[in-house]
Amino acid sequence: MKLLLIIILFSFSYGQVLDQIDLNIQKLNSVLETASRSSQKVFVEDFTGLL
Amino acid sequence: MLDLYPETLINVEWHSSGFTPGGSDFDIPAYSTRAAMYNVGGIPHTQWNGVESTVGGFPNGNWQAYIGDFTNIYNGMVGDDTPYEIEINGYAGNTVNYDVTVSMDSDMSNSNQKVDIFLVEDNIWSYWSGASSYHNARNVGREWLSSADMTINTAGQNETFSGSFNYNDNWNSDSLQIIAIVQNYSTKQIYQASIVNINDMDPDIDDDGILNNLDNCLEAWNPSQEDEDGDLIGDACDPCNNLVFSLGNSNGDTDINGSPLIDIMDVLTLADYLAFDAQDNICQEPTLNINQDNHINIVDVINLVQQILNGG
Repeated sequence: MKLLLIIILFSFSYGQVLDQIDLNIQKLNSVLETASRSSQKVFVEDFTGLL
Repeated sequence: MLDLYPETLINVEWHSSGFTPGGSDFDIPAYSTRAAMYNVGGIPHTQWNGVESTVGGFPNGNWQAYIGDFTNIYNGMVGDDTPYEIEINGYAGNTVNYDVTVSMDSDMSNSNQKVDIFLVEDNIWSYWSGASSYHNARNVGREWLSSADMTINTAGQNETFSGSFNYNDNWNSDSLQIIAIVQNYSTKQIYQASIVNINDMDPDIDDDGILNNLDNCLEAWNPSQEDEDGDLIGDACDPCNNLVFSLGNSNGDTDINGSPLIDIMDVLTLADYLAFDAQDNICQEPTLNINQDNHINIVDVINLVQQILNGG
């Protein structure tokens, strides 16, 4: 029984650690994606004008 | 204003026949098409990224009165996230060859998305009788080079639109620029734009000694241009060796001699595709349409089984 409890406790602890790692990886992905995202240039069509 | 934002503001002047500097050849048919697209009535009219507009200004008024509006519109658009990047390269010789490559860094539907390519001439100093003044016209539309449907829609994909044009004696070749835009023809939204002077284009992007328009791998160094399966895509950038991924060999396996191996495993792959739309790799789909009717279905399974029973 003790052994079972220890195994369960370990599982939860490591599960939490992995969750945190996952979250950090997701954050890093998000930062990288945002940083590398293309940014819009502005195109103006000037119909018979002198812009 | 164009000089204030040279990296992020791109313009084109479309001129109607009744409103050009005296004796100029500024008016081209593209004016009517672009003007109709935006229901241009009163002029001067500016259209920003296809979706915001102003009407009025010089010579009926004065552009200076509009600079505040223009700046607000510009600031509201510049730097927004977009899935697209556009790169223009090519070679300006006796004729000008260009390659416009659109790449995507996030997914977006390609429904009604087009890539339009324009040729413009910058810095034309001319006398405008209507305004009684000389003016430096910027990026006057000279030719609408092409308008093509976009087929890509997924992050990581890219598509190249190639073409060429000849010089007109009236143009100053040093001032010619190519503009490419991605525009949705339903909403009119322009998602990206790019401009390059024809003399600044890179004629050989991957430096392999093969000019872009002749290179079977535009961005991969492959001076030998090897193309084992003869599909006009060089081995250096060809994800699918069609000699291995031949019709029926959907899992791409080979025998000890390197020849395609068509067997029961390919039937299972085809069945998986039909049942779960499961594709193991991008080379697979062309191998599945066994009867070549452009529909992958149970008839292809039957044909493949027959083919195997008959000895391949």
